Amino acid sequence: MPNQNGTVYGLTILSPIINDEKATPSHDLQIRKYLATLPTGENSPFAQTPGTHLARLVVMDDVIYVGMPACEEHLNSKYLIFESNLDGGPTGDLDSYLRGLAQSIPEHLDAIWSHCVGYPGAANAQAFVDYMKACQLETTFFFAAVNDKSVPETLRALQTQSAVTDFIATHQGMEPSRLQAEFVQFANELKATPVPPAGSMPDLVHRGFRSPSEEIKTGGHNE
Amino acid sequence: MPVARYIFLQLKEVPQARVLIRRLLHEITTGQHWDGGKPQSTLNIAFTHQGLRALELPDATLLSFPVEFQQGMKKRAAILGDTGLNSPEHWDEVWQAESVHVWLGVHALSAEALETRCSAIAALLGETGGATIIGAQDAASAIVNGKQTTGEHFGYTDGFGNPDYLGFARSSQPGQGKLMPDGSWAQLATGELLLGYADEAGELPVAPVPHILAANGTFMVYRKLHQNLATFRAFLDENAALYGGGKEKLAAKFIGRWRDGTPLELSPDGPDQSIVKDPQRNTNFTYGADDDGTHCPIGAHIRRVHPRDAFGFNGRLIDRRRITRRGLPYGRFAAEDEQVSDTEDRGIIFMALNANISRQFEFVQQQWIDYGNDAHQGNDKDMLLGNHGGQGKYVIQGDRAAANPPFVCANLPNFVELRGGDYFFLPSITALGMIAMDLVDPR
Repeated sequence: MPNQNGTVYGLTILSPIINDEKATPSHDLQIRKYLATLPTGENSPFAQTPGTHLARLVVMDDVIYVGMPACEEHLNSKYLIFESNLDGGPTGDLDSYLRGLAQSIPEHLDAIWSHCVGYPGAANAQAFVDYMKACQLETTFFFAAVNDKSVPETLRALQTQSAVTDFIATHQGMEPSRLQAEFVQFANELKATPVPPAGSMPDLVHRGFRSPSEEIKTGGHNE
Repeated sequence: MPVARYIFLQLKEVPQARVLIRRLLHEITTGQHWDGGKPQSTLNIAFTHQGLRALELPDATLLSFPVEFQQGMKKRAAILGDTGLNSPEHWDEVWQAESVHVWLGVHALSAEALETRCSAIAALLGETGGATIIGAQDAASAIVNGKQTTGEHFGYTDGFGNPDYLGFARSSQPGQGKLMPDGSWAQLATGELLLGYADEAGELPVAPVPHILAANGTFMVYRKLHQNLATFRAFLDENAALYGGGKEKLAAKFIGRWRDGTPLELSPDGPDQSIVKDPQRNTNFTYGADDDGTHCPIGAHIRRVHPRDAFGFNGRLIDRRRITRRGLPYGRFAAEDEQVSDTEDRGIIFMALNANISRQFEFVQQQWIDYGNDAHQGNDKDMLLGNHGGQGKYVIQGDRAAANPPFVCANLPNFVELRGGDYFFLPSITALGMIAMDLVDPR
């Protein structure tokens, strides 16, 4: 299935942005402004949405003419692109994910998508799901580097890796019977520890995932 | 050459500054063969963007330099991870005011030859009134039994594995260029080092205008890296007491080479001088057969900064991330049994040459030194160079022997601290002449 890779679902949505020359600032700029202020990491709205591995929102103005020998083409509209790698389960259950979005972050969704043509609002979950699916494109090819694990499984694995490393660092070289006793206690404590919230693991909060206000990485040419 | 002094100049009035550069022009050591053997001393010159501004190059030229060079290294601190103990407020005085315009690199065969050359330079400065010396940094090779060595303060043998480039007369050795699909090594495209030539993507590197100003020039990254020798020795001793392979093996696992230079990949169980001395072997290895890091740990320094085939795709992911390193230690060498302190002034002057600072040096520093994802090390930084701030860890994979299980080094301190530096443009002799004669015309 082109939208699915194992249990991970690659969602692509293109929503046409309202073209109203009387609106100032224009609707696309209003979306850009809102997106630019969204937090990343643990406070990202998508960290509060169950089952999101990675999500991206982009405003696409038009296709850029890069000069000969390309041909000059234009889009009929500006679009909001929404891409998300999500836990779809074995059947690729998109409806549940979209309902989860509508339930967990309706105010963000409305603030963003109210600038798009035909958006019904998140309050009516079924209308929201129908709208999003009407805007859906087939993803055709995507790669989610999560080893076919769900978001909670991935967070649990990262938590375990980090905890075990800390355990080794503080216990290596210990006399075997004491080591075993401490390990049993450690394992029981780890089992009882809740899975950390999405976006909170240090691996995800590294500089590689900069918030927009941070400095741009390179000069931008010829990378 | 065993001894060096890096002299930092602030240029004065433009006419006098140009006269100074014109007078230096025939003194600058070129890439030509030394048919008559090594000279007593050499001289090289490079400019910061401030320096080129002070020389009043046309605005259209100044603005055409890559952004990172225009900004200088201090403004790139966040990108480079030069924060905390490495942040600019801890740098040497000479780097504080962003007043370094020129780097003069003087290398010599002896301390006497160095002094002679430096006196001549100082006299020229006085005579022309073109610049003031605002700082100088001495550096010298370690001397063991009267012989120059490539050792550094932590006891490692340095200076292996600089890239080979197309068109260079220097004889090449396997392991130093780029890995080919058949397992052989070929020279990297010239444009990875020099401006004006095709790089590994077949493109010309981003360069200032006019072309003739850029061609045959390159960019240099200068970093003064202080080494906390007491911290390093204490850390090594403390962890060696717990490590199954013993102290020397632990030291080797930090970097990927035994301290005598033997690559762990080729000789995991002990140093082997026959490999170190053989240019056909000492840089000639790959990591493909060592996926689990039992020979060379996956996060070892040399495996991070020159991953060879470690990222798959026959090593092709790294061909645009290579840098040429030049540098020498500074400060007094301390014998293994000698009491040392971190506050003693010692370290290494790191100089990297590359065509594109952001794509090459900055990428290596940000992604491979200061982050571990590409090397499958999560957030872990380079063991020795990382800016750990007491938080870091380093995982050493287990050996094949049961007595040598995996080992985790935790609560890593900063073994190395940045004490300053900047980004410089090293012009060709032609370009230097144009700068001296006010002939730079971007039109």
